[in-house]
Amino acid sequence: MNNKRILTVSVLVFGLAACKVDPKINQPLPVDDLVITVPNGWPEPVYTFSNNPISKETFALGRALFYETMLSKDNTISCGSCHQNFAAFANDDHQFSHGVNDQLGIRNSPGLFNLAWHPYFMHDGGINHIEVQPLGPISNPIEMAEDINTVMAKLSASGKYKSLFKEAYGTEEVTSQRMFRAMAQFMGLLYSNNSKYDYYKRQENNVTLNEQELRGYSLFIAKCNTCHKEPLFTDFQFRNNGLKVNPLLKDSGRAHITGEPGDVYKYKTPSLRNVALTYPYMHDGRLTTLEECLDHYTNGIQNTINLDPKLKDGIPMSAEEKKDIIAFLRTLTDYKFINDQRFADPNFPR
Amino acid sequence: MCCVVAHILYLMKTFIKIAIVLSIGFYSCKKDKKTETPEPEPTVVTGSLKLNFENLVDTLPLDFVTNYVNANGDTFKISKFNYYISNIVITKTDNSTFTEPNSYHLVQASDAQSSLITLSKVPLGSYKSISFMLGVDSTRNCSGVQDGDLAVSKNMFWSWSTGYIMVKLEGSSPQSGATTKALTLHLGGYYGVNKAQRNFNFSFGTSTANVSESIAPMVHLAVDASKMFKGQNTISFATNYFQMSPGAAVKKFADNYAEMIEFEHVHND
Repeated sequence: MNNKRILTVSVLVFGLAACKVDPKINQPLPVDDLVITVPNGWPEPVYTFSNNPISKETFALGRALFYETMLSKDNTISCGSCHQNFAAFANDDHQFSHGVNDQLGIRNSPGLFNLAWHPYFMHDGGINHIEVQPLGPISNPIEMAEDINTVMAKLSASGKYKSLFKEAYGTEEVTSQRMFRAMAQFMGLLYSNNSKYDYYKRQENNVTLNEQELRGYSLFIAKCNTCHKEPLFTDFQFRNNGLKVNPLLKDSGRAHITGEPGDVYKYKTPSLRNVALTYPYMHDGRLTTLEECLDHYTNGIQNTINLDPKLKDGIPMSAEEKKDIIAFLRTLTDYKFINDQRFADPNFPR
Repeated sequence: MCCVVAHILYLMKTFIKIAIVLSIGFYSCKKDKKTETPEPEPTVVTGSLKLNFENLVDTLPLDFVTNYVNANGDTFKISKFNYYISNIVITKTDNSTFTEPNSYHLVQASDAQSSLITLSKVPLGSYKSISFMLGVDSTRNCSGVQDGDLAVSKNMFWSWSTGYIMVKLEGSSPQSGATTKALTLHLGGYYGVNKAQRNFNFSFGTSTANVSESIAPMVHLAVDASKMFKGQNTISFATNYFQMSPGAAVKKFADNYAEMIEFEHVHND
C-alpha cells in the first residue's frame, strides 16, 4: 500500500521536475526507484516519515532546497555543492569541502544514502534527527554560514519558492519546520540498494559475483563485517580506528559532542556502500585509495587513546586478499542510484 | 334554502381555512424538523488562567541598561534573557489536574508579551498549585524539527549538537574573561547527569486561583536572574563567561537556576 503510493509519487515527481526542462529525460522511470518498503533483510528504518507524509510536491520542494544556493550566506553554496549526486552525494576528490569564502573544514564530506536508517548524523553523531540535520551546515560559519531566519526571508521573497511551498503545504508561508521536513523527504528517500551486490543477494537479473568478488566477499565477512555490518555496511557505532592523530586539525571526534574522555578520537563507522565513489577516505579525507585504506588496517594502526580493541593488532590481510576485498567493495557501487534523475539537481538536468 | 346553502358554504369555507391553517402548521412543523440542526453537545464551560513571569535581578526589574552586581561582586549588564517554560500542569483543590496541551513557551525579556502565558480551555474551579519545567523535555529534543515557540528559527537550538538552549543569558561584564568582555551563557543539554531542565512545583498557599466564566485569575511568578549566579555555585565571570555546549559547567548554572523562580501571589480579578 505504502509502496504503491510512493511508486506513484516517484513517477509524478519525475514528471513534475522534468516538464519544463529537457524533453529527453521526460520518460517514466522504472517504478521501483524510490523505495519506501524496507528492503528484504534490512532492519526497520529509524525515520519513518510518520509526522511528515510524503507527497510529490513536498519531495520536489525538498529537492529544490537541497540544491538551493540561497541557503548560504553569499548564495554560492548548496547542499549539493559538497554532496554530489555522481559521487553518491560525497564530495569527489575533496579532502575537505569549500565553505563560503573558500574556507576549509576539518572533516571529509560523507556520502548521503540510506539516511533513514541513521540514528544520528555527522562523523561525531552530534545531530540526532534527520529533520534538523541541514541546520548544522547551514549555520556553520565555515560551511554555509547563514542565519536560518535570513534563509527563510530569502525563500519568502522568491517567487519560485512561494509556489513550491504553496504546492507542498497549501500556503506560501515559509516556516523552518516546513523547510526541514521537505528536505528530510528528499534526504530520507535517497535509498541505495541496487548495487551489483544487492542484485546478487536478491538473485535478480541473473547477476552473479565473479570468483574474485566472491573470495573478497568471504574475506570481507571474516575481517570487516564486524563494524561495516551488512546490509547497511555500518554498525553506526563510534570507534577509534587507529589513525595517526593530526594535531593541526584539533578534532576530538565524538568527544566534541559528549565531552567524555572515553570518546576522544572516535568517529561514526561509515557505510561502505558506494565506497568506490566516495574517495577520499576516513573522517578527515586523508587517504585517497581503497588500497591505502586496507594498508592502514594491516600495518598503519596507531595505538592512540581509545583505540578500538578489535584493531590493536591490526587486521592481517595478504596482498592477494586485499585485491579480492577491493574487488568485492566495488560491487557495492549503486549505478542506478547515482543516475537517478529524481535525485539530480533540478537546475541542471542531465 | 338559500340561507341553508349559504350556511353550509360558510361552514365549508371555515373548514377549509382551518384545514389550510392546520396543514400549513403541520407542514411547517415538519419542515422545521427537517432543517433543524442536531442538538449541540452540551458545552463544557471552561475558562482561562494566566501566568505572569516577572523578570528581576535581585529585587529590581530586569532591564538592558542597569549595571547589576552578582554574588561574586562582578558588575554586569544583560542584553538578552530567554528561557523556555514547558509542561505546565495545574492542580485543583480536589486534586484533579489540568495539563496544558502542547505546552511550550519561550519567554524573552525583550518581549513583554512573552512573559504572559494564558492557559485556555481550563475547567472551571479552584486551583491550589502549579508545576512546570524550566527548559524543554528530552522528547522534544529528539523528535525532529518543531514549530511555534520550539521552531529552530527562534535561535534557541543548537545546530551542531542537537538540543534546545533552555536558558540563554547574554550581556557584558568588566570582569568577564572574554577579550570582548562579553557574557555568553547558552545553557542546555537534555540528557544525562548534566541535563539542564529543572522542574518547579508551587503551592498557592492559603489562596486559590478561581477559574470562572467571568474571571481568569493571574498567577504571578518572580524570575530572579541573579540567582543563576549564586546558590549552590557562586559564579565568577572571570572563568564562567562563555557556555555553548552541554556539560558539567552548565550543571553548575542549572543547579543555581533551579531556585530562580518563585511563586508570588494569585489575583482573582
